[in-house]
Amino acid sequence: MRRLPGGGADLPQLQSTMLAIEQACSSIQMHANPTEAEKIIVSLHDSPMPYQLCQFILENSHMPIARFLAAAAIRVAALREWGLLTDEDKRNLIVFFLGFVMERASASDTYVQSKVSAVAAQLIKRGWQDFTEGDKAAIFLEVKRASEGIYGVDAQFAGMDFLESLVSEFSPSTATSMGLPREFHELCQSSFEKNYLKEFYVWGQNAAVSFGDKIVGSAATTMSEIKVCSAALRLMCQILNWSFKQAASVSGPSSSKTHAFSSGIRHDTLLLKKFERSLVEPGPAWHDVLISSGHTIWILNLYEALRQKYSSDNLLWIDSPLAVSARQLIVQLCSLSGSIFPSDNGQMQIKHLTQILSAIIKWIEPADLILEAITNEHRDSEVLDACHALLSIATLTDCMLFDNLLRSVRPFGTLRVLSTLTCEVVKAYTASADEDDRWSSEALDILLEAWGVVLGRSDFTKTSISTEAVADTANLFNVIVESYLNAAARTALDDDNQSEHFHASISRRDEMLRSYSLIARAAADVTVPFLVGLFSERVSLLLSQKSTNDAISLLEELYWLLLITGHVLTDSGEGETILVPEALQASFSNIPEEAQHPVVVLSCFARHSLDPETRACYFSPRLMEAVIWFLARWADTYVMPLDGTKGHICTPHESQASKRVLHSFAGENDQGKLVLDTIIRISMVALSSYPGENELQTMTCHHLLVALVRRRNVCAHLVTLESWAGIANAFVNERTLFQLNARVQRYLAQALVSAAFGLKDSEASNQYVRNLLGPMTTYLKDISIQNNLKGFAQQADVIYTVICLMERLRGAMRATQPRTQKATFEMGHAVMDSLLTLLEVYKNQSAVVYQILKFVVDLVDAQVTFLNAEDTSILVSFCLQLLKVYSSHNIGKISLSLSSSLQSEAQFEKYKDLRALLQLLVHLCSKDLVDFSSGSDEVDSPEIANVVFIGLHIITPLISLDLLKYPKLSFDYFALLSHMLEVYPEKVAQLNKDAFAHIAHTLDFGLHCQDIDVVDRCLRAVDALVSYHFKSRVKGEEGLGAYAIDSQGTNGELQESILKRFLRILLQLLLFEDFRMELVGSMADALLPLLLCEHDSYQRMVHELLERQSNPDTKIRLADALQRLTSTNQLTSSLERSNRQRFRKNLQIFLTDISGYMRTK
Amino acid sequence: MSDEEHHFESKADAGASKTYPQQAGTIRKNGYIVIKGRPCKVVEVSTSKTGKHGHAKCHFVAIDIFTAKKLEDIVPSSHNCDVPHVNRTDYQLIDISEDGFVSLLTDSGGTKDDLRLPTDDSLLTQIKDGFAEGKDLVVTVMSAMGEEQICALKDIGPKN
Repeated sequence: MRRLPGGGADLPQLQSTMLAIEQACSSIQMHANPTEAEKIIVSLHDSPMPYQLCQFILENSHMPIARFLAAAAIRVAALREWGLLTDEDKRNLIVFFLGFVMERASASDTYVQSKVSAVAAQLIKRGWQDFTEGDKAAIFLEVKRASEGIYGVDAQFAGMDFLESLVSEFSPSTATSMGLPREFHELCQSSFEKNYLKEFYVWGQNAAVSFGDKIVGSAATTMSEIKVCSAALRLMCQILNWSFKQAASVSGPSSSKTHAFSSGIRHDTLLLKKFERSLVEPGPAWHDVLISSGHTIWILNLYEALRQKYSSDNLLWIDSPLAVSARQLIVQLCSLSGSIFPSDNGQMQIKHLTQILSAIIKWIEPADLILEAITNEHRDSEVLDACHALLSIATLTDCMLFDNLLRSVRPFGTLRVLSTLTCEVVKAYTASADEDDRWSSEALDILLEAWGVVLGRSDFTKTSISTEAVADTANLFNVIVESYLNAAARTALDDDNQSEHFHASISRRDEMLRSYSLIARAAADVTVPFLVGLFSERVSLLLSQKSTNDAISLLEELYWLLLITGHVLTDSGEGETILVPEALQASFSNIPEEAQHPVVVLSCFARHSLDPETRACYFSPRLMEAVIWFLARWADTYVMPLDGTKGHICTPHESQASKRVLHSFAGENDQGKLVLDTIIRISMVALSSYPGENELQTMTCHHLLVALVRRRNVCAHLVTLESWAGIANAFVNERTLFQLNARVQRYLAQALVSAAFGLKDSEASNQYVRNLLGPMTTYLKDISIQNNLKGFAQQADVIYTVICLMERLRGAMRATQPRTQKATFEMGHAVMDSLLTLLEVYKNQSAVVYQILKFVVDLVDAQVTFLNAEDTSILVSFCLQLLKVYSSHNIGKISLSLSSSLQSEAQFEKYKDLRALLQLLVHLCSKDLVDFSSGSDEVDSPEIANVVFIGLHIITPLISLDLLKYPKLSFDYFALLSHMLEVYPEKVAQLNKDAFAHIAHTLDFGLHCQDIDVVDRCLRAVDALVSYHFKSRVKGEEGLGAYAIDSQGTNGELQESILKRFLRILLQLLLFEDFRMELVGSMADALLPLLLCEHDSYQRMVHELLERQSNPDTKIRLADALQRLTSTNQLTSSLERSNRQRFRKNLQIFLTDISGYMRTK
Repeated sequence: MSDEEHHFESKADAGASKTYPQQAGTIRKNGYIVIKGRPCKVVEVSTSKTGKHGHAKCHFVAIDIFTAKKLEDIVPSSHNCDVPHVNRTDYQLIDISEDGFVSLLTDSGGTKDDLRLPTDDSLLTQIKDGFAEGKDLVVTVMSAMGEEQICALKDIGPKN
């Protein structure tokens, strides 16, 4: 055994240290004096050159945990001292580790073995650039011998295990960072992929083949042989998980697109992400290993043979490591694609997929028996893997090819198999009330994803699916609906809190429903009439019942039917223009009457809610919520739809018949207006007849009304309707709508004001808004000038009214559009004085204060870009006054309370106020960036930058360090600060001393923050400030003037200039603190101008720094690194982009250099 | 809006009642509520339904603003709750007497001598220390449903 570095100790010394470590280990395990023990172990990690000691422990200690720690210590020390070790030492370390693993392969403590393997792998990677090819070959030769079984079965297993950790270490997603830049990892990855990856795969394959044959062939196989076989399969799997780079660059996108359509093989897929899988694209070099050698057939046969052999004790076997890794390899092979297949129009790949499919079909056939077995015996892994394989295949093929793949071995298509399996899984899913038994949910997720892939592609049409498959999907949908209805009826009487087990969360439920709707639409001609049937059956049952109690399960069924119908009939849109789904436009061509059109029939259920008696009996809040939700989506899609074929002459085509019917039902004609009117009356019912149902009312205002005012053509009709005027009138004059939750009132105001969009000219729009808001502003004005305001203002009812009004005005302000801007600003202007009064009166009512602040934030946000100079100065001076009033109430105030939770609530309220104020300033800033106002020639427009700095000066004292612990507040604050410094550095120089000191101090604080974004912002701010100074000095100007010169402090001591202070802080951060590599870029940018401005001080600081180093070796290396930082790479003294880039590189190299020996706090 | 105006003018004779009814569904977190006869601040509101197709009810978790005790209540969201009138008034601190009472200066120039020092340790020390240092202190007194307590302190600069 070659000697490792770090000698000097003799045998007794080594033994006593080992004893100490072992004792520490056992006391940690027994929880006796853990801090002391931890200290000993940490000292082992930190000691210089501990290799010999650790080697001694590894070889001699009887305690596995001590050996484990020794291996870990070597890792830490070697990565730290890598620069200090000679090449000889590095090689010796690796050779020692490998030898250790092979020799002790039979040892029982596997976690030590795999730790040592992993450390060896990391060291090899660390030295990947240092070692010659010869070195590497020598190392791997040993591994190869082991993997061939020359040193015995155990060593063979160790070899596989080592290769697996090596592959995972070189794969960037699983690599340990080791404090090295990303470029290093990428270089290693590509060189490893090019030179070794395939070779390793072959080694694994050879081992697996030899043992696989043996296990299948003979009756007696040892455990260790099976272990090697599964380790080899695992290694192969791991290698196929590699994200291949070389092949991706070889095959251009153009070559693959050409035959994407003819064969049915798809190349444009990036999917599978959801289940953490990706396509395997190793490229043509791998053809011989994976394809032409019959590899796929071999693994399929192996698994099948093993399955037969162990069929007696299937239960145990199916989850054994060997079976798991074999199945994983098969699934992985499913997603094989790209240029590994020859360009033969996809024939080879189709053959490949057919092979796999015909093998895995045995895992899931017959579906009902297999699923029954799972429910009884919990052996779900094989079915789950089959689902994954089906998803992968579906991803790689188009619908037609996917269906046909199976026809060579079965009389039916793949879609039949998929739908049968899904049917059974849905049944199992809806039947199980048990939270723990979630295999069905997992399987369903995968299968629905596969359906989504098959049916949801943009180029999917009715012709791409056979009639037989249509029938299968229709059947599947029927099973889905019936299973869900059963479940709904069963759980209808459950209590609300617990029954949500059925749908873990709303978004997940919606996602599932969306998948079901895809299935339904594929067979719309059958499924939609089926829904109609179920619906009318239940509605007539409901209406014939006398009491509500018997009807609850019916209500729940209807609730669920509304949800699924909503999904089938409409898309969620999410920002896109919503169209009637293609499938529904194309279907039902034989129904000319609108009254019988299924879409119309399904939509008419909502009307029943208008009848007070029916409503009182049957329309529970929950059902009404579903009705409103349904109407919101339905209105978006079907009410006065935008004609997609604008400009074309509509030819009376057969497939257009359905579309025409829908158009005449709710298009822009009298009938459409009637529909709209009905919807508005229903929403009024929801707002007035369900007191206290916040969820329902939020849904009404926030979804349904919003959907109605979204499109201009609908708005144009809305504002002419009496029912709409009714809502507006109720909003202004009636107390009932004051009974709504204040937030709901805001949404309502927003929707009402938004409808102004539909009026024909801007004068009419403004008048409409004035009518809506006038009474409220008048009320606020009146109340604020009352003499005895103080007397009654604190009454709870008055407070509540004020809060409601503020919320309403906020909603109106948010709905501001260019054409209503005039009216909303008038409104804002009218209440300005009142708001200041109210802020004074309600200074102790945090809820009111917050509403006022938020209103002003929205006011500024909505208005500032439109205002002319005069109005801007009105707004700005109002804002400053507001800030001053707020500050005068809160500065120096300490509120205390007996209850810690009330105390933290008070703190939280303060945080929200301050955040609102910061937002206010941020919105003001946008005036300088975007300005739509017309008369920009006037001179007396206030300088926004000055205003914002004054604002900052007012509110910064309110922001205590405690408050900066709220991440959002500190983020906003530093974002604003760095924005101001970056955009207006010249203003900073003009600030007074206090303000400047405060900013400098805050930056200082921010630089030491934990939040990486905050540090980044601060670095950018420093960069901006110093660069400004440097540039103006070059031009012969003052720059930061006095702030850049050392000054006499108030206490007579010399105060460092701001630049020196930053320089010192940054150096400290770089060298002694835990500096994060992600910040290198901005750090370099901030440091460079500092070095240029303060070159002499920098030299002095560096000198001091070096003097302080006690270790002569470190001193020399540090001096060297610092020297290179500033003098290599043709660094010049300018702040041009290229120079900055060079300095960034230098700093990166510098940090990698010093990473081993500096940064000890 | 006409009934609104009428509404606040009629209430203009201050402090007629100590509480005011408000629909449970409109009471938000950070609002006030009376639970078991005590004025409280709401720290948590959650809603649920009585059975799937029943009506909504609000579950309030609130903290007594004077005693800091935690109280809970469940109310159908369409019913009314009592909301206390919580008033806060600022007074300048004139004196601290030895028996633990403070003497405060009212707006009208009179003095208010019926309030004890707060029991809370940190507020107590801040008031005592601040007063001893000769600072000009303003204390905020919170009152609701007939009870009063000092709840906040503000330093408005050194005494001249």
